[in-house]
Amino acid sequence: MNHISTILLALILLSVLLSLRTNRLMALVKLMAFQGVMVSTVPLFSGSEHGITFGLFLFFFLMVLVKGVCIPALMMIAVKRVVASREIEPIIGYHASLFAGLIMIVFSMYLINHLQLHLLPPGHKLLLVTAVTTMGAGLILLMARRKAITQVIGYLMMENGIYLIGTALAGKVHNQYLVEFAVLLDLLVAVLVMGIVLNDIHHTFDDVDTGLLGRLKD
Amino acid sequence: MNSSFTPISLIPLLTTVALAPLLMAAILKVKACFSGRQGPPWLIKYSTLFKLLRKGSVYSTSSTFLFKMGPVISFVCAFMVLLFFPFAGLPPVLSFHGDVIMLFYLLGLGRFFTVLAALDTASPFEGMGAAREVFFSALAEVTIFTILVLFFRLTNSLSFAEYFSHNHGITLWSSSAAPVLLVVIALFMILLTENSRVPVDDPATHLELTMIHEVMILDHSGPDLALIEMGAFCKMLFYAAFITSLLYPFSSGFPASNVVIFFLLLTLIYGGVGLAESITGRFRMAMVPNFILTSFALVFFAVILTMELVQ
Amino acid sequence: MHTFFLALLLIAAGGILAPISCRVFPLMKIMAVTALVGGGLLGGWDAAMRLILHSVPETFTLPWLQFCRFSLRIDSLSAFFLVVIFVVPAVAALYSLQYLHDSRRRAAVAANYFFFSLLIISMALVVCADTLVTFALAWEVMSLSSFFLVIYDSAEQETRAAGYLYFVFTQAGALFLFAGLGFLYSATGNFSFSGLADISASGKLIGFLLILIGCGSKAGIIPLHTWLPHAHPAAPSHVSAVMSGVMIKVGIYGILRFYLLLQPASPVFGQIIIVLGIVSGILGVVYALGKHNLKRLLAYHSVENIGIILLGLGVGMLGAASGNATMAAFGFAGGLLHVLNHAVFKSLLFLGAGALIQQTGTATIDRLGGLMKSMPFTGRAFLVGSISITGLPPFNGFISEFLIYYGAFHGLSLHHASFVLTVLAIISLAFIGGLAAACFTKVVGVVFLGEPRSDAAAQAGEAGVSMLLAQGILASLCLIIGIWPEHFVLAAFQAVQAIPLAATIEPASFLPAVTALSRTGLLFIVLVFCTGLCRRLLSMGKEIRHAPTWGCGFSRPSARMQYTGTSYGDTLVNFFRPFVRVRSHYSGITAIFPAHATYRTHVHDIFELGLQILLIRPVLFLTTRLRWIQHGNIQLYIGYIVLAILVMLLFL
Repeated sequence: MNHISTILLALILLSVLLSLRTNRLMALVKLMAFQGVMVSTVPLFSGSEHGITFGLFLFFFLMVLVKGVCIPALMMIAVKRVVASREIEPIIGYHASLFAGLIMIVFSMYLINHLQLHLLPPGHKLLLVTAVTTMGAGLILLMARRKAITQVIGYLMMENGIYLIGTALAGKVHNQYLVEFAVLLDLLVAVLVMGIVLNDIHHTFDDVDTGLLGRLKD
Repeated sequence: MNSSFTPISLIPLLTTVALAPLLMAAILKVKACFSGRQGPPWLIKYSTLFKLLRKGSVYSTSSTFLFKMGPVISFVCAFMVLLFFPFAGLPPVLSFHGDVIMLFYLLGLGRFFTVLAALDTASPFEGMGAAREVFFSALAEVTIFTILVLFFRLTNSLSFAEYFSHNHGITLWSSSAAPVLLVVIALFMILLTENSRVPVDDPATHLELTMIHEVMILDHSGPDLALIEMGAFCKMLFYAAFITSLLYPFSSGFPASNVVIFFLLLTLIYGGVGLAESITGRFRMAMVPNFILTSFALVFFAVILTMELVQ
Repeated sequence: MHTFFLALLLIAAGGILAPISCRVFPLMKIMAVTALVGGGLLGGWDAAMRLILHSVPETFTLPWLQFCRFSLRIDSLSAFFLVVIFVVPAVAALYSLQYLHDSRRRAAVAANYFFFSLLIISMALVVCADTLVTFALAWEVMSLSSFFLVIYDSAEQETRAAGYLYFVFTQAGALFLFAGLGFLYSATGNFSFSGLADISASGKLIGFLLILIGCGSKAGIIPLHTWLPHAHPAAPSHVSAVMSGVMIKVGIYGILRFYLLLQPASPVFGQIIIVLGIVSGILGVVYALGKHNLKRLLAYHSVENIGIILLGLGVGMLGAASGNATMAAFGFAGGLLHVLNHAVFKSLLFLGAGALIQQTGTATIDRLGGLMKSMPFTGRAFLVGSISITGLPPFNGFISEFLIYYGAFHGLSLHHASFVLTVLAIISLAFIGGLAAACFTKVVGVVFLGEPRSDAAAQAGEAGVSMLLAQGILASLCLIIGIWPEHFVLAAFQAVQAIPLAATIEPASFLPAVTALSRTGLLFIVLVFCTGLCRRLLSMGKEIRHAPTWGCGFSRPSARMQYTGTSYGDTLVNFFRPFVRVRSHYSGITAIFPAHATYRTHVHDIFELGLQILLIRPVLFLTTRLRWIQHGNIQLYIGYIVLAILVMLLFL
């Protein structure tokens, strides 16, 4: 793995850590946009056998458009229109989330070392560690924050993680496209559905606190 | 790995220490520039020091010998740390293997006595400031020692002389650029914490309930206050010089150009502090631990990066 | 061995003379104290000579009861612990001359001296024991004698409860210890210590874990520390000093000795010890921050320092398991030197606390204040103890922490789990230092500085001469070990000779760093003097005024308006919230012009709560259900006896 991909992966891990400790919703959305751009750039430099082809570049452009522009724009619109207070309401606290993120990094290193995967070309360890950490951090955000919009963001982070695993595992060019298209479609559908759900919650309660959903009883 | 004593390095040391108040004025000038004012004159800190040295003192009837000992010990601790630091790549006055640990604990000793001098006055404001100070500095210690762990991984040594004035020291322009960059950012955050600068504590506030460091020295006056101010300048100089030495490989290069670049970068760091003070607002007290723990997370992450790269 | 036995005899004489001569109170005290101090100094000198002169280990055997031998062996490790065991109680005995001043309780005081001497003798025998039986026997005597010492104030309900809790814990710990010793006996077939290295690896782990639980409950490792914060405040202060300074180190000795005898090769041992060290160190100091009672606070600090000692030992064990000689030697030496250092400064702090409590009648920090002016010597000695326990230069606590850091840093070349744990060890040591600084600035600041918060504190006077002398000796020892550490570090490395890998470290490799430390400390003191002189010169001829502290406009400031210890530690304790339970009771303001309101906070130890919920309540539930067996009918009791005899004859 060359230096640029190491820097990209380090930046992704940094964005993960920062997203766990921030208490502002707009900062989180901007971090997700940044992370989306970084994640889209990783396949360009991850050293596939065919070099940087036109198809790869086109795909990179498409991913940046979706992950770095469209989805964050949608989320910003949602935040501005729907959300009352711009503060993230944590269930487990920012210090604990930050420590959980650090423990997640150590745990993913332990996991990758013990799995001893032979399918990979050598040097993809940092990529897998980043992927598992991003997935784990996405899960933490999903479960440990009250607002519905942060759950969407957590889901997006998990998708980023899965996408990185796809980048690591797919050596051949065509397989890579398959994985990437599938992930992209999945992502779009999920965000659309979540947008609809958010709208409905807002109409019912005038607020997007998922705690209120507990009040729905028969 | 041996101890060394280089008396000639006292000259650059004393020169830099003499310039420390000038650099503090640089921060004030940058802040004034951002708010459209001219700011205080460049020699303001020198005139403050001389004014204080000429004054008498008022002592509280509640205080004991600790109130008088506090400023002396905090100044000596801050000055001693500088004795071990290599300025501009020149060998420091003193050095031995393991001196970094001793120096950070000496800074802790200075803090211990400053806090005791504050509690000595029986004033609740000083108690409040002291409680905050010990909390934030306990967290900052964690970050600092993680930085030392990283430095040991990179150079296998525990002495400032080995880090910055020998050939295989630590700099940004080497294979371990990413961890060192993270350390620079984290160290800047620690500088803001330990020297009570804006995101953590406002040095220009006059509301005692919001102060951390100034409220601890509220009741000192005269030569005691001069000693405390000088100690604060030395401590700021230490942290700024630490960051400066990381930014440029002073261990290689001509001594003359090294000195010029060192002072240039030092001024830049002080200016950066002024910049940070001008563009960020002060954090709520409850968000300060978050700030310090972020610096810890950055350095811990850097340590994990070395695991990946070196292992 | 003759000097050793002579010392033990002198101490025993002190213990026996006390009840015999308890009619004449001053005479009894003088005779007992003289004998104890003499015996202690003799034994301490003998042990120190063994260390300095690098003597060969000596053995002494006495056949006993036909099937086992009572056998003692003094090697360098035992000699190191013997120095602590003989010297610190001697100073505490000197303190007790004026501390136990109530001549109406002569019988209790006599019993106190008797069990005190028994405690010293049994501790000395534990560290010299060379067979499983000797070890177990001496351990039991030590536990029992310390129990009787704890319940000196048996008139108080709290003391009795604390004593009972302590008794249960020691017996439960002894249970695990005997289980471990029994397991080792079954694995080797004999009682001696020599065959233990040949057991299988899993056998070593099981035996070590059982002994770890047994010795760990004596040492006060979390989660087995629950007795410490109750027993230490309940006991008289010189007994607390000995228990906290010396007796819990005997637990550490047990862990270390069995580790050396088993000679395990796996790094798991070191990893477990480091994890326990991190937890005990950090949580110990956090709980200490939340306490209002001075002696309970000091007891939790003992837990913290045991954590630091375990960190040193764990680093050493990891080094030994991975062949890193520097890490092994420095880790063990640092841990052992911290044993000595902690014995010195913790006893100093407890003796100071005892003087405070005797003079003011209260141990609650938030009722004291301004005592530095009325008790200047005790205050300065307590200040020295506080700086030492925080591990700040130029006192002794820093030297042992430096050695542990040195060992841990040189172990950063390990891999995977051991690397992560070493990094965590360094980070936690730094964090513990910061938190200890917070706690001791709180104690010194609230207790000694400021204005007295109650009448009791305002009327205190200085303590008696023997108490001041004892504190002065310990305080000077703190400074001496800090400024001239070479001999003490050499002694610690000499004690470490029993570990083959660590023995390969030559003095030339560690002495330069230690000499540099001592020179820096001396330079610091010189610079402080010079700056102080400059300041004095600058203040000459200037106007010096004295005035009350400016209260920012309050028209009637009172001493109760000062910052309290509880508020000081509040933010820090709340930072650790999942690990500490804070319960506060506020009476609320009910009238328009409120006259009286109360506010109480209490920091609960989650391990104590856990013990109650997980162990005590189910056991009580079960035993309440079984209460019907005890109905008082004599005939049925006879039936029970016959049934038991039948069962034993038929089935066993």
